[in-house]
Amino acid sequence: MEYVLHILVLIGIYVVLSVSLNLVAGYTGLISIAHAAFYGVGAYVAALMALNWHVPFWLCLLCAIALTGVLGAVVGIPSLRIRDDYFVVATFAVQVIAVSIMNNWTDLTGGPMGLPGIPQPEILGWRISSHVDYLVLVGLLGALALWVSRRLVQSPFGRALKTIREDEVLAQAVGKNVAAFKVLVFVVSAGMAAVAGVVYAYYISFIDPTSFTVMESIFIISIVIIGGAGSLWGPVVGAVVLVTLPELLRFMGLPSGVAANLRQILYGGALVAFMMWRPQGLLGKCAFERKSAKA
Amino acid sequence: MQVMLNAIVSASVILMVGVGFALVFRTARFFHFAHGIFFTIGAYLAFLFKAILGLPLALSALLAAGGAACLGALVELAVYRPLRTKRASPLVLLLASLGVYVVLQNAVSLAFGDDTKSIRSGTVSEGFEVLGARITPIQATTVCASVVLVGVLVCLMRGTRFGKAMRAVADDPELARISGIASDRVLLLTVAAASALAGVAGVLVALDVDMTPTMGMNALMLSVVAVVVGGGRTITGVMLGAILLGFAQHLAAWTLGARWQEATALLVLLAFLLVKPHGFLGATAAKASV
Repeated sequence: MEYVLHILVLIGIYVVLSVSLNLVAGYTGLISIAHAAFYGVGAYVAALMALNWHVPFWLCLLCAIALTGVLGAVVGIPSLRIRDDYFVVATFAVQVIAVSIMNNWTDLTGGPMGLPGIPQPEILGWRISSHVDYLVLVGLLGALALWVSRRLVQSPFGRALKTIREDEVLAQAVGKNVAAFKVLVFVVSAGMAAVAGVVYAYYISFIDPTSFTVMESIFIISIVIIGGAGSLWGPVVGAVVLVTLPELLRFMGLPSGVAANLRQILYGGALVAFMMWRPQGLLGKCAFERKSAKA
Repeated sequence: MQVMLNAIVSASVILMVGVGFALVFRTARFFHFAHGIFFTIGAYLAFLFKAILGLPLALSALLAAGGAACLGALVELAVYRPLRTKRASPLVLLLASLGVYVVLQNAVSLAFGDDTKSIRSGTVSEGFEVLGARITPIQATTVCASVVLVGVLVCLMRGTRFGKAMRAVADDPELARISGIASDRVLLLTVAAASALAGVAGVLVALDVDMTPTMGMNALMLSVVAVVVGGGRTITGVMLGAILLGFAQHLAAWTLGARWQEATALLVLLAFLLVKPHGFLGATAAKASV
């Protein structure tokens, strides 16, 4: 039972992460491989505040969102000048730099040893300790993320984002401030990823850089793409499928090292397969076609 | 002086991997992220042939390069070509290549294990002195191999019909096809050649500092930086990028400590993307108007 609950909590965390990436990748058409960096920075900010200053949970959460949001703006700004595959490369750089800092700024982050012993959170007298508590918390946050995403997408702001995805020049021509929109959506998305990071840090009570590497970023992208970029429920479906399926490997009695590798082979292969046969994902609408590529 | 020598050694490795990456980027027009894995695969194939099957080193290295080339060709045939016939965007190809990278890296882990493997033989030689700095025979070989291989490549590109065909495909695949060039075959050979180069670089680096399944990610990253900094279109550009990057890295190692090498390289990349994206923007605009 514990095990099932654990999987459900993980699914919840990945739902928040992929919903947040979907805002940038799916609706705005900006693929980012820096999402594990946002996730990680959120986790580190909360963990450090909780460990060093014994700050309450909600304050950690707010600070993590704010700081990661700033980082999101920093990542969003290059998107104003570079596009498509070059932008992917820029986010790749941000991702690797973030992990490098987590690994090497040992005085602050504990380096490869990570940060152990993150205390259990308490919200308004509700002490979150059991798996069930976490599931409730993650469920609430996941629902909140979906709600925010839905509201954003249906608002004029969301329509502007989709216009940017389809035709940036057109968006500009009808008077949308493309630069501001792009940076703003990155701030929101990064803040949301930070929420997932904070919950993860408290839930596992230990963080180290290996949870926030490029591979993790690629995993989150796979969730969004396989689920269906640009659709509200796509990331949810993707998270359920990609987190649950590899767990089946566990029941085949493989040694854990082999299972970990197989799990990655599975999602890497799925990413390739979907790109080849169903680039819009299970529920998706946007297939990352090149804009205005007609001859 | 030692810093400069180390920088040159790094630059030659980056050059070998980067030229391949740039070739694919130029002819096939997408960021071939899976390129880094052929670096790893080269090293591990050499390990397989030398340490497990007991073949001589030179033969192992050759076989490793050949193996990397075959695998590269296989990926092109199985993944990239079908995608291209569907007229997939560069972004789709990029995402697919990320998937290929993940699959192959984990396949290497499964086959050989995650621990460090070595094909270094015997005692560590002290190396010989050049202008007051030390260089090991392996490092010297790396520099020579890089210069020779890239030199050969440049001659091929300039002097042969195949090179001409490659440049034609890079300029305009449609037009190349119309004028009777088998674009698909040209791309296949390009990917194979690029993978072979990466494989050789992998073997040489493994001889110098051993191997792990994730070594390719680092090599890939550096070559991406070199290619972007160099402008991405020409081999000369990659050369300049590689040399600049080699020096930036070793200066950083010298002044800040080796652990910041990686971050420095990527900061260089970000700085270039932010401050001087004009060349790149021009390149993308040109692509879109084709």
